[in-house]
Amino acid sequence: MTDVLATLSRDRIFYLFVAPFAALTILFGVWPILLSIQVSFTASATALRPNPTYVGLANYAAVLADPIFLASLGRTLLYTLLSVVANLAFALGFAILLDSRLLKRGSLFFRLAIFLPVITPDVAGYVVWRWLYDRSFGALNAFLTLVGLPPFGGLSSVDTAMLAILIAELWHHAGFYMIIFLANLSIRDRALEEAAHIDGATTWQRWRYVILPQLRPALVINSVYALIQFLKTFTVVVVMTKGGPSDQTNFVSYYAYQLFDQARYGEATAMATILFAIVIVLSLTAYRLGDREPGQ
Amino acid sequence: MNEDIRPNRLLQALAYLVATGTSLLFLYPYWWMLVSAFRPTRAILSDPLRLWPETLSFRIFSEIGRIGGVELSTYIVNSLLITTLSTALGVIVTALGAYALVRRPKAPGFSLVRYGFLVTIMYPYMLLVIPVYLVMFKLGLLGSYAGIILFLALGPLQFFLFEQFFRKIPNEVIEAAVIDGASEWQILTRVVLPMAAPITATVALITFLLNWAQWFPIMVISRSPDTYTLPVALLSMNSELGTNFQGIMALAVLTTLPVALLFLFAQKRVMEGMAAGAVKG
Repeated sequence: MTDVLATLSRDRIFYLFVAPFAALTILFGVWPILLSIQVSFTASATALRPNPTYVGLANYAAVLADPIFLASLGRTLLYTLLSVVANLAFALGFAILLDSRLLKRGSLFFRLAIFLPVITPDVAGYVVWRWLYDRSFGALNAFLTLVGLPPFGGLSSVDTAMLAILIAELWHHAGFYMIIFLANLSIRDRALEEAAHIDGATTWQRWRYVILPQLRPALVINSVYALIQFLKTFTVVVVMTKGGPSDQTNFVSYYAYQLFDQARYGEATAMATILFAIVIVLSLTAYRLGDREPGQ
Repeated sequence: MNEDIRPNRLLQALAYLVATGTSLLFLYPYWWMLVSAFRPTRAILSDPLRLWPETLSFRIFSEIGRIGGVELSTYIVNSLLITTLSTALGVIVTALGAYALVRRPKAPGFSLVRYGFLVTIMYPYMLLVIPVYLVMFKLGLLGSYAGIILFLALGPLQFFLFEQFFRKIPNEVIEAAVIDGASEWQILTRVVLPMAAPITATVALITFLLNWAQWFPIMVISRSPDTYTLPVALLSMNSELGTNFQGIMALAVLTTLPVALLFLFAQKRVMEGMAAGAVKG
């Protein structure tokens, strides 16, 4: 007991330092999350009252039996998979290009051009993309018509809406993954490549067996970040499609928000908890897989 | 030797073609936004591809002087006020918090704070904002600048950058100060903070850029457009019926330009900082 007291007094000033950080974390992080989980076990109509009616897992059962939610979850996972692959492939490809000796000059310009969308407010970026895709105002279809190509359905067609927002989101996010690959490429051991070259390795073999394994840290970080990023895709839907056409872009985040807007608090928070669980499980899995030594 | 390491001409030309083409595609939306802000809606409808406005008139910026019953200047002031104050608060609170957690990782309760923070940043952000509405209601902060600024203060990148920096301070530096009889307050203000000036500038810059772009928490915590910032105003204008296309593009320019210029001015610091903060997380 005296030990504890001694520690406390010696560390007192650190408690002072951490207090505002802890207060904000608890007030606007831990508390709302616990509140959200609590609400997910109550009947929506009573959720906001001081003594809500607890309904056990009824909201979760309702959500998991809701065909719109299941379709939405499936589309969210599909969209996440496609986005992660597209973004990482683009970012890695462009990082390799910028890092190569092929581009002696102008590398900074290219890097700035790809990164600028990352710091551009997403609402502004997506508003511009929404109108770029527009059939009457949009530059995209005007251009396609000009060069004699068939028009792109963009946001209004069931077949292309998901692709259209995937492109807009890639524009906004890929620069971030690119600079992480670039940072990783710049700290790699170039002596190994020289050695491989002297041993007669082809360019492909050098990339596959010497450089790619050294990019594992960036690949792991980017995969985890991109997974978290695209599982919770929201802003682009609000700005560009409102979930349409025919629910094609009605991802879980947006669907949960719509239910919340209709005061269906119990189901909305149950969805939030389910999505949270998926984010944690998938990102931990990606992290574990990536962290494992090759051949293990 | 080294024949296939020395770039060949054709490959080099191809690399420039791909890099230039992709870069111009990435930049085109900015150009289209800028040009469209200076062209009447009717003109854009008849020729969306025009690369230069017919006439250079700034009248649109006075035409969108009121959006949703609120002066445009109010949104601009709100953006500056909310972004600056939440950045200042966030930098101070996060620096002190990360410093304490790094210096005393085993102090009772500290790992709980750290885990609480890590769980929070894993939670789908948009779905966190909804229960935050209830919390703001209970705290009486709904519709207030204080509520918005407090919520925007913390962020993962900021925390990881500070944590990473404080971990790298050699123990000897601090021990030497302890032996010299310095109090913890003196160690912080005379030893650690002067060393932390560059990282503080980086974190402040990145936080400013990120918080300027925020919209959902501001929309949810606000009770009226009086506390909206530029991105929120842009979103509500974009959702209105009856398209004022030119006005939307002009507002998008106002929302984008300040942070784009700030970024170009400090690009090295921003890109290096964001990469470093992410690598830690």
